Amino acid sequence: MASRPTVNVRSPSGEASTSLPLPAVLTAPIRLDVVAQVHKSIAKNKRQAYAVSEKAGHQTSAESWGTGRAVARIPRVGGGGTHRSGQAAFGNMCRGGRMFAPTKTWRKWHVKVNQNQRRFAVVSALAASALPSLVLARGHRIEQIEEVPLVVASATESFKKTKEAVALLKSLHAYADVVKVSNSRKLRAGKGKLRNRRHRQRRGPLVVYNEDNGIVKAFRNLPGVEVVNVRRLNLLQLAPGGHLGRFVIWTEGAFGLLDEVFGTFDKASTYKKDYYLPTAKITNPDVTRLINSDEIQSVVRPAGQKVQKRPWTQKKNPLTNKAVLFRLNPYAKVLRRQELANQGKRNGQKQKKEAAAGETFLKTLHAP
Amino acid sequence: MSSDLQWLLVRNYNSFLVKRVAEGPIFSKEPGNLRNIHSHKFSGLANSKTIDVTDSASGIKVTTRKVKATPTQVAPAHSTSYVRPRSGGRRALGVASATAKRGYRPDLRTALLARVSALQAAQKEPKPTPAKKVRGHKAKTF
Repeated sequence: MASRPTVNVRSPSGEASTSLPLPAVLTAPIRLDVVAQVHKSIAKNKRQAYAVSEKAGHQTSAESWGTGRAVARIPRVGGGGTHRSGQAAFGNMCRGGRMFAPTKTWRKWHVKVNQNQRRFAVVSALAASALPSLVLARGHRIEQIEEVPLVVASATESFKKTKEAVALLKSLHAYADVVKVSNSRKLRAGKGKLRNRRHRQRRGPLVVYNEDNGIVKAFRNLPGVEVVNVRRLNLLQLAPGGHLGRFVIWTEGAFGLLDEVFGTFDKASTYKKDYYLPTAKITNPDVTRLINSDEIQSVVRPAGQKVQKRPWTQKKNPLTNKAVLFRLNPYAKVLRRQELANQGKRNGQKQKKEAAAGETFLKTLHAP
Repeated sequence: MSSDLQWLLVRNYNSFLVKRVAEGPIFSKEPGNLRNIHSHKFSGLANSKTIDVTDSASGIKVTTRKVKATPTQVAPAHSTSYVRPRSGGRRALGVASATAKRGYRPDLRTALLARVSALQAAQKEPKPTPAKKVRGHKAKTF
């Protein structure tokens, strides 16, 4: 294998100063399906229970009138003197009745996901965040930045003021992503407006730090920017909506700690017990490279003439059309020949037998 | 990371997809997609060599992804060149064949030429519309 790729560490003014080796997590296999599946389940774990009132639709003393009154046998509200009397009650089809299968607070709100799957998803999402094309495909404005993954010096962890944070993002050319978020802020459709979800907006960069010396407070008021500790990386932040490729800005300390937090392919993690990174099913997913490899090219036969089939021809039935049958199954010809030969033999025997009536027999038969 | 795998990851969902007509063509509006068609060949995301053509103040901007760029580079991985404003159709042809001639995505030659030509045609100042002639009864009276 070639020498381990390195990633530049950028000073707060934007230029590259030192470099760090690429952590093994960022080369882990990327499984779209695993991330989507795990995200779908994990996203359910923050739900609050809701249900209709236990009493809804049952607060009357209605009883069925039984048969013989030329009305349906549904329970009816008794008494008189009010419009409600005689009206049907209880059923889900009734006005003022309870709903069908009333919702209960003891619904299964949470979904369990196996720990290894959760870790796999996080690792996959991290690996995807290190590929520029996937980060671009998620919609982050990273065209002007120098490098993905983007690592900044540890001095940023002691930033106290948002002004400093903005200056940093501008010098990294990453501020465009924050601008995108603040331009995307829209009033939410529906009742969510009244339930503390008044606006909806895109997600901006995710800032990952090692030690909080003020970085959280410096960044947290920027629209769309989220700040998280390396030890507590979360799939909901790494792949919002189940879509891979969040734009992640690492501090030097956090980036250096990745190999310890997630381990490598042959060294267990120190933060997760007995955890090794998942290995890829194939080492080289480059199809063109595989096809052009010596191993394949030395074995394949040279390409034959191009056979161009005429379109829209009539389809022939191989069961009735011999020529088509023989093209599909050359052995059918042998079989058929054998069969004909056998038939001929049998016919020959039969004819002989037919002529085998004895002369004396015939004489007696035709005797007058 | 191989471009084949990247295409598989980007193919089903990305922020540039445009599916307006059911059963219709699927378009893609990412930079670097010369035909704006959602396919591996034209994708500006999943290919290691891409050509992007946009209009800018200093002429038509042609951006290519450098062959020797490392996979982690983003902005430094691209090189740009400009086609001066008000240069003609022959210039467009030269731009299109220059990349193809050095073996850089020769399969995109026609798509590149079409895009550069379209931008050049759009830059031309339209001819002033001739004054409307007055006809019939009005022409006689005035």
